[in-house]
Amino acid sequence: MTTIEKNSVASGCPFSMGETPLSQMSLTDPLIQARPHAFYSKLRNEDPVHYDEKLGMWLVSRYDDIVTLLRDPQTFSDKQGYEAQYASGFFQEFKQILEEQGGGFFPDVIKSDPPEHTRIRKLMDGAFSAHRVKMLEPVITRIIADLAENMADKGAGGKVIDGVKEFAIPLTIAVICEQLGMNRYDGNKISEWSAAITAQIGRMQNREQMVENALKVCELQKFIIEQMKDRQAQPKEDMISDLVHSHTEDGSSLTFGEAVSLVRALIIAGNDTTATAIANLLFILATQPGVAQQLHDNVDDERYLTRFVEELLRYAPPVRGLAKMTTRETELGGTKLPKGAHMLVLYGSGNDDESHFDCPRNFDIARGNTGTHVAFGVGIHRCIGASLARMEIRVAAKELIKRVRNIRLAIPAEEVIYQRTVATHSISSLPITLEQR
Amino acid sequence: MSEVRITFVDCRGTEKVIEDAPVGDTMMQIATANGVDGILGECGGGCACGTCHIYIDPEWQHVVGAPDDVEDMTLDMVFETRKPNSRLCCQITVSEKMDGLRVVVAPESL
Repeated sequence: MTTIEKNSVASGCPFSMGETPLSQMSLTDPLIQARPHAFYSKLRNEDPVHYDEKLGMWLVSRYDDIVTLLRDPQTFSDKQGYEAQYASGFFQEFKQILEEQGGGFFPDVIKSDPPEHTRIRKLMDGAFSAHRVKMLEPVITRIIADLAENMADKGAGGKVIDGVKEFAIPLTIAVICEQLGMNRYDGNKISEWSAAITAQIGRMQNREQMVENALKVCELQKFIIEQMKDRQAQPKEDMISDLVHSHTEDGSSLTFGEAVSLVRALIIAGNDTTATAIANLLFILATQPGVAQQLHDNVDDERYLTRFVEELLRYAPPVRGLAKMTTRETELGGTKLPKGAHMLVLYGSGNDDESHFDCPRNFDIARGNTGTHVAFGVGIHRCIGASLARMEIRVAAKELIKRVRNIRLAIPAEEVIYQRTVATHSISSLPITLEQR
Repeated sequence: MSEVRITFVDCRGTEKVIEDAPVGDTMMQIATANGVDGILGECGGGCACGTCHIYIDPEWQHVVGAPDDVEDMTLDMVFETRKPNSRLCCQITVSEKMDGLRVVVAPESL
């Protein structure tokens, strides 16, 4: 039994959850959000396309249904699903705040359906190719090595440090800023802005929080517009310049609003999610010493590292659930769905589906089909930054394990706090101790 | 010659012969433009997703060449279906020497 399973048992899962009927459970429950695996398993086994009344969404939990849905973007609209999720319950007010104080309301152009999505996606693909990412690796390795060094210093003498605050978040923010050519930046601000944006699809904010978040998004947009104006006047070798001066295949330029939304997406999308993956890396190294030892023993084997990263993404996918909406009456996994059904695709459950991955709660880098996980999604909206994220995680694992050993949780695993959101499964803070090698 | 003949055998064994594959396009672009089953090219040709996995007929391997190290790592993510003659077809730019090339689409990993 792994530590994670012990953790589940300690928190009353899966046994007590087995007795509660699904109709009385909801993904809006912060306890289920924090430790969701028993709930996912119940969904898959009892009602794989389940209507969560409290959330008002259909939860799609089986691997095969997830892939089927994601491969059919005409029937399951990303645009409509996203719009219905965004600032849910407060959308008009949120929009108004942005129009009045944030330079405008700019819908996310990446969250669109074909053919519009195809036009934008083609423009962005080249920037994130595996070869382009490979070129960034030396610079990013230096950034990450410094951070790992820094964290090892801070943790000297058995001092408890927060792995999220000291390593995961600064790492992803530094990488994003490097990519976007933002030399002077306030890491805390970027982290706050990210949280304010991702809260809009998390479904857990109240009105007061929405207003607070909207004001932060206003700040973010003003910052973006300033950066774009700077590149308009003086082009540089970075992605903001690329976007400001880009042309799509049909020869047209991006509108100002489209460019703002894309820069915003670039700042935010790879931030919280990759930071979560790095925090999950720390959690696994801290709770499964055998995995940490094996990683150290194989640290110079790139093939091993590739598989390690894929299994980490399968085992603990940062993105839990994203929304879609049916554009017509349809059927999925034997369940009839009306037109306009708001769906939540549970990537977290797909990666945990025992009918696709044997013993899914075992961290096993030798499994043959690890690469088929759905952590980055499937289909036309497959994560564009996947290569960059993989590289960041691989370099983080490598640079960290070379420098530190005996990473341990400073609190019991079942007390680790997770963010309250349906969109991701993210550790809020991770108190750990470690030793320098 | 600016067009060549390329044959894709999809995962069900059906042959799709493309008589007018433009030289200079990638094999992935040609396959998706012609609706070859099993070639998805979801990352748009960025060598990042492994959804355009093919096997090169052995007699053509020396013409097509071997994957570079970036492609090698991406191929390793689909290692269940990987073979010594595996390639990601988004990384193969069609040249005149490839006239008559025959490739087999790998079984879908997903």
